[in-house]
Order: sequence, then structure tokens, then C-alpha cells
Amino acid sequence: MDNDTEAYILLLLSDGNLPTGSFVASAGLESYVAHGFAASIPALDSTTNYIRDSLSSYARSALPFVHDSHDTVSRLVGCKDPYNHLDSTLDQLKVLDDLYESMTLNHVARRASKTQGVALLTLYSKGFSKPHLRHSDAHTEDHRGAVFSKLVDRFKLLIRRGETPGHLPVCWAVLTAALSLSRERTRFLHLFLHARSLLSASVRLNTVGPYAAQQLLLHAVRPLVQEEASKCQALTTGILDSSNDSKVDDTVDGPAVTWPLGEILAARHDLQHSRIFNS
Amino acid sequence: MTALTVDKIGAGRGKVVLRLHGSTAVFSELSYAYPLKLLSPRIEEEKGVAVVYNMSYGGGLVGGDQVQLNVDIGQGTSLVVLTQGSTKVFKIRPGVRPSSGSIGDITEQRMNTVVADGGALFLLPDPVTCFRAASYNQLQTFHLAHGSSAVLLDWVTSGRKSLGEDWSFSRYYSMNEVFIDGRRIAKDVMCLEEQGEGPGSLKRRTLSERLAPYSCYATIILYGPLVQGILADLEARYNSITVFKRNAPEPLIWSLSPLLELSKDGYIVRVAGTETEEVKLWIEKALRKLESTVGTDIYRKAFV
Repeated sequence: MDNDTEAYILLLLSDGNLPTGSFVASAGLESYVAHGFAASIPALDSTTNYIRDSLSSYARSALPFVHDSHDTVSRLVGCKDPYNHLDSTLDQLKVLDDLYESMTLNHVARRASKTQGVALLTLYSKGFSKPHLRHSDAHTEDHRGAVFSKLVDRFKLLIRRGETPGHLPVCWAVLTAALSLSRERTRFLHLFLHARSLLSASVRLNTVGPYAAQQLLLHAVRPLVQEEASKCQALTTGILDSSNDSKVDDTVDGPAVTWPLGEILAARHDLQHSRIFNS
Repeated sequence: MTALTVDKIGAGRGKVVLRLHGSTAVFSELSYAYPLKLLSPRIEEEKGVAVVYNMSYGGGLVGGDQVQLNVDIGQGTSLVVLTQGSTKVFKIRPGVRPSSGSIGDITEQRMNTVVADGGALFLLPDPVTCFRAASYNQLQTFHLAHGSSAVLLDWVTSGRKSLGEDWSFSRYYSMNEVFIDGRRIAKDVMCLEEQGEGPGSLKRRTLSERLAPYSCYATIILYGPLVQGILADLEARYNSITVFKRNAPEPLIWSLSPLLELSKDGYIVRVAGTETEEVKLWIEKALRKLESTVGTDIYRKAFV
């Protein structure tokens, strides 16, 4: 993909108005504030601390799934007969999705992840498929787009039937791979969106103002996202490599939660007396 | 002590096989090699229940120690796995000079367990305490039959408070993977690691800052028919909690999540506390119904 196209896709995907379900998710921030963890610290610092701790744990636990799902879907591009590989691609996505489910041992995070995951797939089929315009040339068929539409439709069907959970990292990678976004951009944007939605949540929670959120986005989030993206670039679930005698050391490159406090607080979200977010 | 059969097995390896003979649980195999050590004291116990102390878990492990324990729990038997005191992970062998080459070596404990239908595993060790600069991997896999039960406790402290240690080890990695009839239902992986310098103009954020104000984190996975009473109590207690906005964190917090959606067979409990002792009391109280399964004497030994 040329740079202009990629830049354009990035602009579309980073639009805060995309119906991705993230606007009702605070990824544990609301609970963190309610439990008194932000109370004795200046708001800019407590917000930055939360973004750091949440982002590093999310990066380490979700990026292996983003990477492996992205690689799996991207492999369809080079296929001579991609329709013959849809089944095996879906099987691999299911394996990754199931593993993510069993590693996300927190019912609130699972719920939010599934809501956002399926929203991204719907976004692809409804928002990124080619529109039928009266003046467009009917003869230029979009073969690539058709393959990915088929893949997304079938994956959505599996989710609807309850055969796979449809988690955010997997669905995000399906979307970006279908849009030909590179693995690097996919990783970076995923972390950026996670951090930005935490900032949007803190604005809605009234812990920081919209200008302060913008300041943090430019000066704090950028180095944090860059650091996590570079630190996590080699992460993999290792679950699809059984064929080549897996050299992957799970303890070094595998998914892991790095912030157990965040897990407890996120799981306690529903116990709050009053709340404005779903997670 | 029961008779031990020490096979010619590799260093740090061990094997426990528990079978039912009449109504008594008997170790048809109990073998180990240094630095792993297993002891099975005779304790007046409930029928079908046996106890084994993992002395390496409860003793000290030094940089580079590798331990692998295989456990096979047969139909109708219950195994209680205990330690004697917290598992201490040293950076280097005490008394060995830093030039010995063992510095920085990762200490690793692996445990693979198979539990047959109607069998049960109660893994109730003391917490792991990693000393300054220690690096520790713990990888535990549990293959449970659908009708079996398990309580899997895994906990870690911030170090030796008396020496000023406060999450000052270099790395702690713990993995607990649970399969039911071959299907993976949980893979809990926690990695606590000190980070490097902060990026950009941000200050370094230490492990201790990330985990404050707590100095003990525990995870308990519960599954099966023998723990349904415990789970029902926990669920009722959990659902009765209402969090009003606070001005400071509580000294102990906990969470409860089902392992599988729409199923009450298994749950995961996480607890964090400012004091290890408080966490221990909380766990002891939460699991007390195990007394009727394993016997009061054994249960008390788990939470000395």
C-alpha cells in the first residue's frame, strides 16, 4: 500500500466518532477512581499513571493476539485461491480468539472486549465495503475486498452462533489486515486508541479537562505508546507454531498480565454504586 | 513418614502418583531428586485424602534451580499439596561468590498435574517471596477431568519487608493453565517485572509504585463439585459489595470472575492486601468449608 493510502486509512481509523463501542468503555479507569487510587495525587499524574499501567498490561496481553491474527489474515493476500483458505484462516482465528478468552479472566474486560470486537467487524462490512454508486464503473470489481468481506461475514456468523467469542485484539487485526494496514501501524494504532479512549474516559469522568487531555495525548501518550510498541513488537501467542517445533519462549514473548491490581479493579467495575461506563 | 521410592530421575524432578486402595489414598509413587524434596507426613485425615509437602517450594531456591514435579491424582482420591513456610527465591546461592556464574539465572518450578474423575487437588502453598534481584518462573498445568475438583492457590509477596524489600525482585512470572477434559478453560499468566527508564521526559515507574499500596497478591482458581459451597458463599459475599467513591484505597480488595461464561463450575478469585497476614486470613476464611473435605487438622496446617 502506498503512503498516501495508508495515511488516509489511518485518518479514518483514528476518528473518534467511529462506532466502535469504545465510548462506553473506560477499561477499569472509572473503578480505579472510585476505589480511591487517584484521590491523593494531582489529576494529570494519576491519569498518566493509569494510562501507563493499563497500557503496558494491555500491550503485553493483547498484542500477541493482534500480531498472530494479523499475520493469519494477511496470508490470504498472497494466496492464489484465497477462497480455499477461508476455512483454515477462520480456524486459526478461532484458536486465537479462544485462547484470548481463556486468558482474559475478568468478566467485565471480556464483555467490553467482545462488544468492541464485533463492532469493528460490523464497521468493516458496513463502513468500509465499497458503496454502490450510480456513477461508478461497475466493471472494476474489487476481488480483494470481496475475499475479506466473505471472511468478515463468516467470522461474524461464528460469533453470532456462539462458536467464537470475537475479542477486540483479534477483530482489530482482522479489520486492519483486511484494509492492508501494516503490522507495525496496526500495533501502534491499537495502543494509541487504547490510550486515547482512556483519556476520553477521564474527560467524561471529569478527572481532567479536554485541554489537559490533549496535552497528555501529545506529550505523555506518544512516548508511552512508542515504548510499548517497540518493546512488544516480537510478542506472539506461539499457539499457531506447533509445526516448526516452536522456538517461542512463552515466558519471554507470550501474552501476560503485568498489572494484577488493574485486573482486580476492572473486575470490580460492576460493584460501583453509580457508574457511567460499561467497563 | 511413608516410605519413599527414589527412582533414578533427573535433578530437580519428582513424581507423585496417588491411588485409592479400598478407602485409603496410597502413594503408588512418590519420588524426587535434589533440589526438589517431597515429604508425606502421616496425618489423621478424611478417607481418600493424602498430604504432600513440597519442601523446595517451601524452602529456598537459588538462581538457576530447575524443579519439575508431575502429579497424578487417581479416581476418588484427594491430594493436598502444602509447603512449610514461604518459598524463598534467592538471586544467588547463599555463600557463593558472584563469580560462580549463577547470577541472573532464572529459577524455575514446573508442575504438571492430572486429576481423574472424582479426584481432587488442593494446592495450598505459602506465598512465594522473591528476594532482591531474584528472577523466578513458575509454570503449572492442570489437566482436570470434568467431575474432578481443584483449589489452586498462587500468591506472591513484595519481599522481605524487614530488609526494606518492596517489590524489588527483578522478575516474577507465573502461569497457571487449566484444562477440563482436554479443553483449555483458563490460562492465567502474570508477569511482574521492573521496568527501565521512563520514555521521553517521563520518570521511571517502579514495580512498587504500580502495585502500591499492596504487598501481597493472590490468585485462587476453584473448580468442581467439592468447591460449590465455597463458591456459593463467595458469590453471595461479592454481590453484596457496593463501592461508593473512596478517598483512599482499602487495605484489602478482592474480585471474583467466572472462568467460563454462563457456567458456575469454576471461578477465579484475586486478592490484594497491604499485609500478607491479612490476605492469608481472608483466604483461610474463604476456603474454610474445605475442612469438611480434607479434615480440620490438614486444613489448619495449610494456614499455619
